[in-house]
Amino acid sequence: MQLFIEQLLNGIAIGSIYALITLGLALVYGIMRILHVAHAAVYTVGAYTGLLVFKVTGSLWLTFLGGMIFCSLIGILIERFVYFPLLKHPPYVPLIASIAIMLSIEEICRLIAGPFILIFPAKLPFPEVSLGPVIISSTLSAVYCITAAVLLFLWIVSTRTEMGLAMRAASQDIPIADAMGINSHNIISATFIIGSSIAAVAGILVGIYYNQVYPTMGAVPAYKCLALIVVGGMGSVPGAVIASLLLGVAETLLIGYANIPLPRDALAFIAMIAVLMWRSEGLMGSR
Amino acid sequence: MSQALLRVTDLSKHFGGLKAVEGVDFELFPEEILGVLGPNGAGKTVCFNLISGVYQPTRGEIHFENRTISNMRSHEIATLGVGRTFQIVKPFAMLTVLENVLVARGVTRYGSLTKIWTVWKSESEKAAALEILDRVGLADLADRKAGLLPLGNLRRLEIARALVVGHKLILLDESFAGLRNEEILQLEHLIRRIRKDGITVLLIEHNMRVTMGLCDRIVVLEHGQKIAEGTPEAIQQNERVIEAYLGRRETYNASRSA
Amino acid sequence: MNAYVITIATIVAINAISVCGLNVIVGYAGQISLGHAAFVGIGAYSAALLTTKAGLSFWAALPIVITICGLIGLLLGLPSLRVREDFLAITTIGINFIIEAVFLYIPFFGGALGIGGIPRIVLFGVKLKAFAFFSLCLFFLFVVLIICWWFTRSWAGLASFALREEEEAAASLGISPVRVKLLAFVIGTAMAGLGGALYAHYMRFISATDFSFPVSISLLSMLVLGGMGNLWAPLIGAVILGSLPEIFRPLVDYRIFFYTVLLLLMIRFQPAGLLGEKSMVRRIIASAMPGGKK
Repeated sequence: MQLFIEQLLNGIAIGSIYALITLGLALVYGIMRILHVAHAAVYTVGAYTGLLVFKVTGSLWLTFLGGMIFCSLIGILIERFVYFPLLKHPPYVPLIASIAIMLSIEEICRLIAGPFILIFPAKLPFPEVSLGPVIISSTLSAVYCITAAVLLFLWIVSTRTEMGLAMRAASQDIPIADAMGINSHNIISATFIIGSSIAAVAGILVGIYYNQVYPTMGAVPAYKCLALIVVGGMGSVPGAVIASLLLGVAETLLIGYANIPLPRDALAFIAMIAVLMWRSEGLMGSR
Repeated sequence: MSQALLRVTDLSKHFGGLKAVEGVDFELFPEEILGVLGPNGAGKTVCFNLISGVYQPTRGEIHFENRTISNMRSHEIATLGVGRTFQIVKPFAMLTVLENVLVARGVTRYGSLTKIWTVWKSESEKAAALEILDRVGLADLADRKAGLLPLGNLRRLEIARALVVGHKLILLDESFAGLRNEEILQLEHLIRRIRKDGITVLLIEHNMRVTMGLCDRIVVLEHGQKIAEGTPEAIQQNERVIEAYLGRRETYNASRSA
Repeated sequence: MNAYVITIATIVAINAISVCGLNVIVGYAGQISLGHAAFVGIGAYSAALLTTKAGLSFWAALPIVITICGLIGLLLGLPSLRVREDFLAITTIGINFIIEAVFLYIPFFGGALGIGGIPRIVLFGVKLKAFAFFSLCLFFLFVVLIICWWFTRSWAGLASFALREEEEAAASLGISPVRVKLLAFVIGTAMAGLGGALYAHYMRFISATDFSFPVSISLLSMLVLGGMGNLWAPLIGAVILGSLPEIFRPLVDYRIFFYTVLLLLMIRFQPAGLLGEKSMVRRIIASAMPGGKK
C-alpha cells in the first residue's frame, strides 16, 4: 500500500511536469493552430540556461528568472521569424519547420555544451513532508508547489485580466478578436512568452529532479505532449493538464505494476487513439 | 397532375437543440421551376443540403422519382441526375475552368473501379465540356485558372458543373447573389433555357423580383417550417409571408417595383 | 560510377519510391500522413520475414508484401478518416510510434536486435549487388513513376485533385470522398511497402528505429522540398536531401546542424517546394527561356 502511494505521488509529479510542458503547446495551438514541436527544444534550452545561471550565481531565483527570460526570447524569435510568415501555408509546413528548429536547437546545445549528461546539483528549498510512513521529498513537494503556482497564475491571468480575456477570445476566433480591436499579434507574442517561460520552469525542474541535463532531453516530451493536447481536447488548457496528470500516473503505475511490453511513447499514443475513438473531440474539447 | 419528381415529407433536421428544419412537406413536378423563399435562418440551405445528401434528416423522408434518397450521400445522389450549386462558390481553384467541368463529366465513372482508371484528358471529353461552357457563356475562359475568376463567372461555372451532373434536377443555391444587373438578366435567361431543355429547377433566392418572375410556384419557410406554398401571385398576397418579412417591408415593396 | 556514389544513389532511389507513395496520399489526394515510415517498415519487415523465416525468394514475396501493405493501409486508413482533421496529423504520428513499438517489443519481429541475414535479390541466378541492384531500384522507380503518371491522367487522379481542392463540391459531382481517399492511401502504402522491401534487401539488416517518426519527417521533407503534387517532386527531394548529408560530411561534427538549418531555411522560404508554383527555380527557368519574362 505504501509502495502504491509512493508510486502514485511519483506519477502525479511526472504528470505535473508533463502538464507544464503541454501547457505551452496547448496555448500555442489554441491561438495559432500550429503544432509547436519546437517547444520541447525551448524546454531543453530552459534547462541549460538555468544550469548556467545557477553555476554562475548560485541563486535559484535568478536561475528561474534567467531561464524564463531567455526562453521567452527564443519563443518570440521562433514565432516572429518562422511561424507567423508561414501561417498562410498548409499546416504541415510550419510543422516541418518546427521539427527542423527543434533538431537545430538540439544540435546547438550539443555543440556548445557537449553530448554528455550534465548534473544540476541544486536544492529546492521546499519542505519534506511526511504523510504517515510515506515521505514526500523536498523535490517532489517543489514540483507540486511550483506546478500549482503556475496553474494558479495562469488561471488568474486568463480569467481576471484583460489580456487573459483577449487571449481566450483570440483562441476562439482571431478575425473577431481583431475586429474588437484586440491586437492579435501582441496576443500571440504574449502567448509565446507565457508558454516558453513555463517550459523553462519545467526544464529547470526536470534538470533538478532527475539531476540530468542533456541535449536530447526534449525528444520524448516533444511528441508525447502532442498526444496529450489531443487527448485533452485541442487547445483546451484544463484538458491538457488533466490528460497530463492522468498519463503521468498511468505510466508510472503501469510500468511499475503491469509489465506492459511497450515503451512509454507508444502508451501515450495508444491512450490518445483510445480516447479519440470514445470521444472524438478529446476530453474537454468542444462539440 | 403528373407524378412528382421530388417529394419531401415531414422533413426535419435538428442540430442538438436547434430545429433548423421541422416538418417540411412539398412536392416538385417535372419541368417546373420551384422557388424556396424565406428570411435568413429560415432553413432554406439546410433543406438543400438535406435533399442533396450533405446532411441526413433527423426525421422525415425524401423521395426522388419514387426512390427513397433520404439517407443517401451527396456523391450517390449526384449519380441519379441531381446537380447543385453552392451559396458560397466552391470552384476547384487550381484547376482550369475546363477542368472544373471535366470533373463533373466523370460522374458516370467515379463509381466504377474499372472506369475510374480510364483517361480523362481526351478530345471527346474536352469537346463535351466546352459545349457546356458555351451554354453558360464561359467558353472563352476555358483555360483560365478557376481561382482567378470574378464572382459572376464563378457562379456560372457552378451552374455549368451542376448542368453536367443534373440532367434531371438542378438545385440553385442563391445563384443570383452579388450579381450585377446584366448578369442577373443573363442568368434568368439561362435558367429558362435549362427548363426548356427538360430539366427541373429548384432554387433558393433572396432577390424577390427574380423569384417572382422566374418561378412557377413558391414555397416559403420561416424558422425551419413551411408557412406558405403557391403561385407567386398567391404568395405575394399571403399575410403570413408578409409578416415574416416584417420590417423588411420597405425592401419587399422596393424589390417588387424593381 | 564509383562504389560510394552508387551507395548514395541506391538509397536515393529507394527513398524516391517511398516518397512517390507519400505524394499520392498527400500531394494528389490532399490527405495528411505523418507516419509514412511505418508503412515502409511494414514492407521491410514483411519482406525480411518472408525471405528469412519463410524461405521465399524476393520475387515470390514481393506481391505478398505489397498486398499486406495495401491492406494495412486500408485498415488504418478507415479509422483515420473518422478522426477530425486537426487530429489526423497526430493520429498518423501515433500510428508511426505504435508500429515502431510493435516491431521493437514483440519478439516475433526480432525485438531490439531487428532482423538480419536478409538474402540478396537473385535475378536469373545472379545475386544483385552494387550497380546491378541500383539498376533494379531504378527499374522499380520507373514503374512507380509510370503508375503515378497514369494516376494523374485517369479519372481517379482528377477526382483526387478535385477532392483536395473542395471536398463538398467534389462530392456533389459524384466523387465519394471516402473511396478516393482510401484508394490514394492504399496506393501510397503499397508503394511505401515496395520501398521497404528494397530497403530490407539492400541493408540486409533492419531494426525498428529505421522506421521511426524522424524518418517519416525526412520523407515528408523530401516531398515538400520537391514540390508536393508534382510528379518529379519525390525524386528531386530524395536527391537533395539524400546528397546533402554527404555534401556536408567534411563538416563532420557540424553536419547535422547545417542539415537541419538548411531544411529550416528551405521550408521557411520555399514552402511550395522547388517545383512549386512561383518558386525561385521556376522563376529562374522562366526568365531564362527565350522570350521569357520575369
